[in-house]
Amino acid sequence: MSFFSWAWDWVIQRSNWNGQGSIPQQIVAHLGYSGLPLLIAALIAIPAGVAIGHTGRGATLVINIANAWRAIPTLGLLVLLVVLLGFSALTWLLPLVVLAIPPMLVNSYEGVAGVDPGVRDAARGMGMTTWQQVTRVEMPIALPLILVGLRTSAVFVVATATIAAYIGLGGLGRFIIDGLASDQYGPVAGGALLVVVLAILVLILFAVLSRLLVPAGLRTRRREG
Amino acid sequence: MMWSWIPGNGSQIWQLTQENIYLGVVPALYGLVLSLPLGILAARWRWFYPPVLTVTNILYAVPSLALFIALIPSLGLTNTNVVVALTVYSVCVILPNVVAGLRSVPDDVRQAATAMGYRPLRRLITVELPLALPVIIGGLRVGVVSGISLASVGQLIGVSSLGYLFVDGEQRDFPTEIYVGLFLVIALALACDLILVAIRRAVTPWMGERKRSAVPARSAAGEGAAPESTLEAVPQ
Amino acid sequence: MITFERVTKRYPDGTVAVHALDLDVPAGQTMVLVGPSGCGKTTSLRMINRLIEPSEGRILLDGQDVRDQDPARLRRGIGYVIQQAGLFPHRTVQDNIATVPVLVGTGRSSARARAREMLALVGLDQELATRYPHQLSGGQQQRVGVARALAADPPVLLMDEPFSAVDPLVRSSLQDELIALQAQLHKTIVLVTHDIEEAIKVGDRIALFHPHGTIAQVGSPERLLGAPADSYVANFVGFDRGIRRLSFVAAGGLRLDSGPVLDAATTVEQARTGAQGQQWLLVTTEGRPAGWVPAERLAALPADLPLSQVPAEGFGHSFTVGTESLRVALDAAVLSPAGLAIGVDGDGRVLGLASFDDLRAAITAASRQEMASREPEPTALGQDEAVPQEEAVPKEVVSQEDSQPTSSAGAAP
Repeated sequence: MSFFSWAWDWVIQRSNWNGQGSIPQQIVAHLGYSGLPLLIAALIAIPAGVAIGHTGRGATLVINIANAWRAIPTLGLLVLLVVLLGFSALTWLLPLVVLAIPPMLVNSYEGVAGVDPGVRDAARGMGMTTWQQVTRVEMPIALPLILVGLRTSAVFVVATATIAAYIGLGGLGRFIIDGLASDQYGPVAGGALLVVVLAILVLILFAVLSRLLVPAGLRTRRREG
Repeated sequence: MMWSWIPGNGSQIWQLTQENIYLGVVPALYGLVLSLPLGILAARWRWFYPPVLTVTNILYAVPSLALFIALIPSLGLTNTNVVVALTVYSVCVILPNVVAGLRSVPDDVRQAATAMGYRPLRRLITVELPLALPVIIGGLRVGVVSGISLASVGQLIGVSSLGYLFVDGEQRDFPTEIYVGLFLVIALALACDLILVAIRRAVTPWMGERKRSAVPARSAAGEGAAPESTLEAVPQ
Repeated sequence: MITFERVTKRYPDGTVAVHALDLDVPAGQTMVLVGPSGCGKTTSLRMINRLIEPSEGRILLDGQDVRDQDPARLRRGIGYVIQQAGLFPHRTVQDNIATVPVLVGTGRSSARARAREMLALVGLDQELATRYPHQLSGGQQQRVGVARALAADPPVLLMDEPFSAVDPLVRSSLQDELIALQAQLHKTIVLVTHDIEEAIKVGDRIALFHPHGTIAQVGSPERLLGAPADSYVANFVGFDRGIRRLSFVAAGGLRLDSGPVLDAATTVEQARTGAQGQQWLLVTTEGRPAGWVPAERLAALPADLPLSQVPAEGFGHSFTVGTESLRVALDAAVLSPAGLAIGVDGDGRVLGLASFDDLRAAITAASRQEMASREPEPTALGQDEAVPQEEAVPKEVVSQEDSQPTSSAGAAP
């Protein structure tokens, strides 16, 4: 049997759609466990990245984070917190927020720092206050990269929330971890398939968002030279 | 933190470290080998790149655990499973950098080489690839660093790596083990990163000591700081 | 309008970009700051709108120290144009131009209407209003940059190498348009360039900088060409400044009777007598120059052949008597196979021919007049003084020289 047939057979079983720990419940839970850390991380990372990109101060820090964050093993971080703190909201929230910050921080920084220096000089020279320069010129121009950062973090958080089921979190990872523990490949495959579908939906969401929010003037970025 | 645990289990820790190195580095190298021809084709045939990029974007979004699981029916709960999955991720990361690196070679350099009598293949190997090297190595760095870290997830399907220290440490409620695992994974990843930086410096002496800027692969001969920036070329 | 009072800019690492600068920028004129790279001209410009703050000294704008105002508010009242235009890529052309009006509170629709007026002012098609900057050529982008700077009708316009990034043909037409705009608007313009030709063409007054932040000479373009303060200025201005200075002298006083001008219907026989012993004849059709005929060619031709059928040499170009300069006339004479410059009126009809002798007479007369108007040089330059400045010259004489409109005089075909 292939992965897809295992997964499909399990997903279409009606019993999996009712009652405690059903598919719809875990989907909603997974969205919550992904969405909340993403939101918190965005509120921290995007303003920070924009500010660092505008002033240039702290840029070395961002560059180092850009290098280093992928080195952190998510499983290890989750497991450490559960062992130290027991299982609570903080246990899963903290690592997910921390892991979601780097892509948005780095991309917001790159987006703003990469704004054409002539454009930044013109904005300042025309009499915009710092706030106006950042909100009316730099952030809109940096928007494509900011969205890429958001998308990367979103995908990453969905994946990590899956693993967090290992330390007791609900969500789609529940099917996977429980299935692995009880040697049942059906829920394992089914859960994995659902997570993949969710991740792809996130991609599609961001593609649509990008098409809606990014003005035509920015879409053809590449000019000669 | 129980320091005494470390020497007592030294050989096991070393064994797990070796396995992790293998699982992190080898797929990245396979990924490089696969990305080079694909990337060269994609840089040459403009129409080829957007669909390829879409595929890699989608694959990269697949959570690692899900990919391991998807490979179980064909590859079982073996090392090969993790290696194949991580190779796929490496390609997703390195391929865009190969393309970006080749595209960053200035047109006049390419034309000068042709005018001097270089045939396309020789020009590719002796002129374009070397100039694209910094960006390509940048992609390789990301591939290796994330590979070493992702390999630990393989422990959840029983594939041995430093992830064992996380799983065992959780089961035994033993933070020391987890600290050791965390430290080793991170240190290993950063060490490999530094080695690759050194290799890049050695292999591209013409670049000099550059102050690293995070502004990404789009700048000629800059490094791909993170695939996000090269992934941003998603076909609109 | 703008006054620099002993302005110095010193950087933390010790470099002095501008040293004790004293400069007056008169209202309603174009002052060009010119000099080699690193001479402090751009730094000086950027101190006017406080993008850079001086280390010492002060800058007065309309009598008020620029530091008395909030920088952002100050800048909204000053137009600013830079080399790469700096257009906002995420906004349409009209929204780019409307930026400052919107900043100062104008409603978006009236700001956009104003933007469209500005588009017309800088000679761009209205349909560009809804395009994005990346869809425009370099020259068009620069024009939008100028439109954007003028949108809020500021009295002062700062321009930092505005035309350096476009190709020479576009640059020349942009310079012409700036001159035309200025004739219409009479803004106080401070323009920075490294190109002395641009400075001479566009400027009413030029401040030439030494390499390290001090001024070598301030004066009208004719003054710098005709009376450079030292060898540095003479070298910077260029080796053929004598001839280039002729761009500022009108060709109006030239004698124009130095050769035969005959209509194309004239027969060869009539031409032989009409030639009056001259070596060359100018043939005209409907009053306009058609070509030169060497008199010796007439000898072998049938007597009743009209001149229109006689092979003629090309005439290069002519000079318009009322509006063009001695330089154009001299060039016309040099290009002509007859060594005679063709003077025409506004419609292109021949008024007469000027020989090299006529031109020499006119040039000598102009030099004599210029020397007579020159103030004796100050004998002692105190250490604190920047340079001999133009304010010593009586205003009437300055305006007499300045009466040649810089635009047409400088416009070589």
